Amino acid sequence: MAEQNDNLEALMRQSLAGDQRAYATLLTETTRLLRPFLSKRLRFSNEVDDLLQEILISIHKARHTYDGKRPYKPWAYAIAKFRLLDHLRAHYSDKLRHAIDFDELEENLHEHVTESEMSYESISGEVQKLPEKQALILQLMHQEGYTAKEVAEKIGMNESAVKVAAHRAYKILRERLER
Amino acid sequence: MDNIEQLIAGLSKDAQVLKPAPRPWLLGLKWLAVAIAYLIISLAISGVRPDLLLEFHKPWFVAEIVLLAGIFVSTALSAAILSFPDLHQHRRSAFAPVWIFALFALVMLFSWLADNPPSPLPVHSFECTISILLFSLLPTAGIFYAMRQFASTHLHLSGSVAVLFAFSTGALWLRLHEQTDSIIHLIEWHYLPMIAVAALGWWLGKKLLRW
Repeated sequence: MAEQNDNLEALMRQSLAGDQRAYATLLTETTRLLRPFLSKRLRFSNEVDDLLQEILISIHKARHTYDGKRPYKPWAYAIAKFRLLDHLRAHYSDKLRHAIDFDELEENLHEHVTESEMSYESISGEVQKLPEKQALILQLMHQEGYTAKEVAEKIGMNESAVKVAAHRAYKILRERLER
Repeated sequence: MDNIEQLIAGLSKDAQVLKPAPRPWLLGLKWLAVAIAYLIISLAISGVRPDLLLEFHKPWFVAEIVLLAGIFVSTALSAAILSFPDLHQHRRSAFAPVWIFALFALVMLFSWLADNPPSPLPVHSFECTISILLFSLLPTAGIFYAMRQFASTHLHLSGSVAVLFAFSTGALWLRLHEQTDSIIHLIEWHYLPMIAVAALGWWLGKKLLRW
């Protein structure tokens, strides 16, 4: 373990001296180091990948703040934690923006939100332009054939929320397609 | 995974010889030197209070100035440490201003108790806060500009400490310039506004120190 730490510090020192190969190795090792840390805290692997990329860019931007004499790991983890918190903050504020309005939910419950007159394939291009969560819900329901309940279990939302999200997605799609 | 590999390849092509940032204490000392120069020039222009030498014979005045200078120095060093993502692995030093502030509050309390009979209140009031704020504008802009060259991961705290550093420069200037000895006035219009200013810095840090 101590040897690996020494390696990381040596790699960072070489990187700061302009060694491109050492820098590539360092970033690869950093990715390997941070992936389990992020995987434990995030649900989807695509989220982990996105955040890893953001962290690598941040490490690149902040690399002048590493002086080569301090351990590398706490420095890299500090940046990773900072970006993770930023990501989670954005995620939850987005969730709050899309929180369920119970009055609207009541109005919508009688509608068959899992049935649509449109075929998924014909509008898949438009579906991809929807907010990430709505697009995922429609994809699971219409391309992969899951029920609202199964989708809810799969992505960790409650069934009503899935139905409301689907309903909102249909409304957006309908408006876009009618234009 | 392919995306990450591509990104690593792209970033590593960018790796060139890069001069590491100076150590935080050197950085802090540099910021202090600039602020001291600004303070000296300002005092030379505005003038020091005529009874300054006499005041230095009063122990509570000396204690107040020493601790105010302590806040000035500790916030500069703390701001420098907070500019590094990992606090340069000196987490405790980053929080040093808290202890100096606690001591300062204690000294002001004793000064207030010792101010008996109380010194007369000056005729002015909020003008002092305004003067300190105006004096602090330039150091605030400077310190935020300097901190943006680094990579703070404690944006709120960094903002507060940065603004307190600038405000303490202003507070020192006014204390050495204005001939006021009313402790109530000093607490109310010189030092209590520091709390509001710290809150403003908390918000500014988030806005200005993002990277």
